[in-house]
Amino acid sequence: MIRRVAANYAFRSLFRHTRRTLLSVVGVGVGVAIALFSASWVRGAIRMEIRAAVESGAGHLRIVPTAWLDKRENSLRLSHPDEDYEAARSLRYAQVVAPRARTNGLLAFGNRSAGVEMIGVEPEAEGRLSRIVQRAEIEGRYLEASDAGKVVIGKDLAERLDVLLDDELYVTLSGADGMQGAMFIIVGLVETGSEDIDSTFCHVTLDTLNEVTGYSGPGEITILLTDYKHLTAAQRQLARRVPPGDTVLTWKDINPSYAAGIESDRAFTKILIGIIILVVALGIAAAQLAAVLERRRELAILSALGMKGRQVISLIVLEALAIGLGGMVVAVLVGGSGAYYLASHGVDLEALMGGDASFGAVLLDPVVYGDFGFWLIWYALVIAEVATVGASIYPAWMAVRIDPADALRTI
Amino acid sequence: MAQTQEQVLVAAEEVTKTYKTGKVEARALRGVGLQVKAGDFLAIVGPSGSGKTTLLNLVGALDSVTSGRLRVLGNDVTTMSKRRRADLRLRELGFVFQAYNLVPVLTARENVEFVLELQGVGAERTSRAMEILDELGLGEFADRRPNELSGGQQQRVAVARAVASKPKLILADEPTANLDGENAEVLLGMMRRLNTEQGITFVFSTHDPRVVAHARRVVTLVDGRVAKDETKGPSQSADSQTGIVEP
Repeated sequence: MIRRVAANYAFRSLFRHTRRTLLSVVGVGVGVAIALFSASWVRGAIRMEIRAAVESGAGHLRIVPTAWLDKRENSLRLSHPDEDYEAARSLRYAQVVAPRARTNGLLAFGNRSAGVEMIGVEPEAEGRLSRIVQRAEIEGRYLEASDAGKVVIGKDLAERLDVLLDDELYVTLSGADGMQGAMFIIVGLVETGSEDIDSTFCHVTLDTLNEVTGYSGPGEITILLTDYKHLTAAQRQLARRVPPGDTVLTWKDINPSYAAGIESDRAFTKILIGIIILVVALGIAAAQLAAVLERRRELAILSALGMKGRQVISLIVLEALAIGLGGMVVAVLVGGSGAYYLASHGVDLEALMGGDASFGAVLLDPVVYGDFGFWLIWYALVIAEVATVGASIYPAWMAVRIDPADALRTI
Repeated sequence: MAQTQEQVLVAAEEVTKTYKTGKVEARALRGVGLQVKAGDFLAIVGPSGSGKTTLLNLVGALDSVTSGRLRVLGNDVTTMSKRRRADLRLRELGFVFQAYNLVPVLTARENVEFVLELQGVGAERTSRAMEILDELGLGEFADRRPNELSGGQQQRVAVARAVASKPKLILADEPTANLDGENAEVLLGMMRRLNTEQGITFVFSTHDPRVVAHARRVVTLVDGRVAKDETKGPSQSADSQTGIVEP
């Protein structure tokens, strides 16, 4: 246990070489500040990427037929759509509940055709769920609940088919009784700026889709939560309420490659922070080792007076803790300022990505904002203290190994 | 005095100490036999390299013997672990070194208090440290750091630090080597007073005739062996000639 005089000794020892101590503190501070800045950026980017994924159609949660897990077939329909819908609606954290169905089809106009995944939606719910619908420039309009035989397609898809608003598309779909054909009038052309989205977007009402395909009910119910932090609790609650035959998935299950990308970003950040801790620790270890070697005789005297190994270690670690604490303050000031700038001004992702702020069918935010909050203080404290205390282990071990008789004889 | 004059605090039998540096061996002690009794005020003298400091380090449990048997305050230090030796030093022994060796970043009071803190003494350690400093006439220097004290004052604080743990035995390695005549006399007077009034046993390693003059017993080491062990009569020690010099 560190007592008052020992604490005074450790603290005042730091000021024997004030410049060296200050350089150590600044070294720790700058290293940790870089870690804070990186963490702020990655946390902000990941938060945005997740929000973009769930708001681009994946939702936080999705109820699907259990068989979908193995087959991933669009022809599958929910076993208990009404119970599933009620379960989703009664979920405490549910913000939007959007039933959907999908089918594969071929759009044709004249001698042009294009394969698409057509999505049958409830327009009002979809409008609240999907940022694509909310943010896209739509020539014409989006779907309405009463729109039978109407379709909204992406602008690039329309260009490929050489169609305009109000043109009639011939659609061939795989239905319950084989291939089905129908004519759909184009009521809206969607333009998001994302080539992936604009060349694949194809929405009709859920009723229209089921009428043509001959299936009934939704194939999935997508749920947007009020906050991402409720994901696990909401999934657990919903899984308990959904009857057998259907199952609850998270956005990660729906977009595994996208989720893996986010996880790799997280892992990269951890590796980066680990490298920073290592570099900072090596610098501190060198400075502390010098401090221990300079005080070899003094530590030998303390040992001669009866100071035990653990008490010597406590002294050295206490000095490291003080350096870490100073480094934390520097890091919070420097790294916190950087993080605050990131959080308030953001980085223009569109400019960085050449105007296409999308990843596959995920419509990203054009500006990424860093994360800023009290977590920065804890982060700085933990990183600075782990680095400095970790770095003090070797010097402390060296201090404990000092043989008082040998040190008093030879110094 | 709590102990009788006949109580043996240190018993060395055929103690040898050999230092190895690579393939070179240096025999610092070659079979020392010595008893230190409670109340002794003993000076170990001898030429450089005779083994004075080595013997003091062994008695102080700072180093381990190569062969022979050494008991200090009833403990067989030849077989003690490093941790137990540290505990023995902390609780039962006091040290005064040649170069004062106070902790430079602590005040005089804190230097004394530090030993008490290491012993686990609670809040009263501050008042106890002050008591000791006052008793040794150092109260006015309590809040000064070593660099604000003279050499003599520093060495007296070092004695206060050694006394703080209420040791039975204080080992002093050339304590007057860096002091002028007046400061050396003040220091030796203080130690004699602690010896006579509190019964603390002192063992010095020294070249200094002033220390020898104060000693009641003088052990001469030559080539790592005890060459002479003299106990002075009452008329031969400095205190009987000049009186105890008060600090």
